[in-house]
Amino acid sequence: MSRKPYQRELPKTTWFLRHARYKKYMLHEISAIAVAVYLLILIVGLFRLAQGPDAWAGWLAFVTSPLGLVIHLIVFGLSLVHTTAWFKAVPQAMRIQRGEQFVPGPTIVGAHYVVWAAVSVFVLILAGVA
Amino acid sequence: MTERKIELEVLRYRPEQDAEPWFQTYTVPCPEEWVVLDALNYVKDEIDRTLSYRWSCHMFVCGSCGMVIDGEPKLACKAFLRDYGDKIRVEPLANFPIERDLVIVMDDFMEKLESVKPYLIPKEEKSLDEGSYLQTPAQLKAYKQYSMCINCMLCYSACPQYGLAPEFIGPAALALAHRYNMDSRDVGRKAREDTVASHEGIWECSFVGACSEVCPKSVDPAGAIQQVKFSSAIDYFTSWLPGGGSR
Repeated sequence: MSRKPYQRELPKTTWFLRHARYKKYMLHEISAIAVAVYLLILIVGLFRLAQGPDAWAGWLAFVTSPLGLVIHLIVFGLSLVHTTAWFKAVPQAMRIQRGEQFVPGPTIVGAHYVVWAAVSVFVLILAGVA
Repeated sequence: MTERKIELEVLRYRPEQDAEPWFQTYTVPCPEEWVVLDALNYVKDEIDRTLSYRWSCHMFVCGSCGMVIDGEPKLACKAFLRDYGDKIRVEPLANFPIERDLVIVMDDFMEKLESVKPYLIPKEEKSLDEGSYLQTPAQLKAYKQYSMCINCMLCYSACPQYGLAPEFIGPAALALAHRYNMDSRDVGRKAREDTVASHEGIWECSFVGACSEVCPKSVDPAGAIQQVKFSSAIDYFTSWLPGGGSR
């Protein structure tokens, strides 16, 4: 008997709408773009600073404007998505074996949060906020 | 008391008469202890003997009855009817061609599995008289998780990367390569490298992580692949150091 296998194609552009876990994946992938855009804004700020007080004041006015504030909120939200998604995945990529046991996943993730908090406090102190 | 009944919507594809797959609905009983596989067996025995599907052990050991149940890749023997609503949709594993009804063509998976040399490559072949290759419990622990795979292919069904780029070697085969690479008795990492540390290998994986979420044996193929990426990246950078080999 001749065979006639039927091939179902995965839609190239809408595949991620098929399952909640794919949408979640797309969200934390897209969150990287927000982080990149914010880095660009900061780099532009550096250039404006180098160009003198007026240029710097203009950039400052932009980032503290209502639009700037909205951008900050969106970027902050997406940065949290990005950070928590990757922290959650760390134990999968980083297995630490001690004898016959592995260091538990929550310990590894927890250590990341501790370092994150410490670095944040350090940066806030440097910035004169805390 | 009238017994609860549910509707099983099963994807049918009969190559000799169907141009494309379609859903057929069967009404089946729903005892508390039944799994989807029991419902399919009921259909086969009592309603429609033309329905085709694979199964063997009925106790999630053999890995034969993988299918997509209500959109989720599952072993039909591990999916209790009581956990679903009154209508359950049963489809063959995604990303594979359908041979007939719920039976998929697994040739591609078998070839990929073979391509990673999934067997011990010892430093020196020993004769039987010389005894076995010894290993401590800690050395066993290093790879044991990755040796639990039952080749059910749920991970390939869940992996959008495999669906979009069929040349991808895929989760189970790469996890198995990692299993042997991590084995203290094995020295085959270099021999597997061309296949595993290639574009079609680990670098095609974008860490969606769906494979690990659907794995019925908690093998965590996504984790295995990220670990191989890490060691492969280290290999690459050390190859540029003095005495680090040529590249």
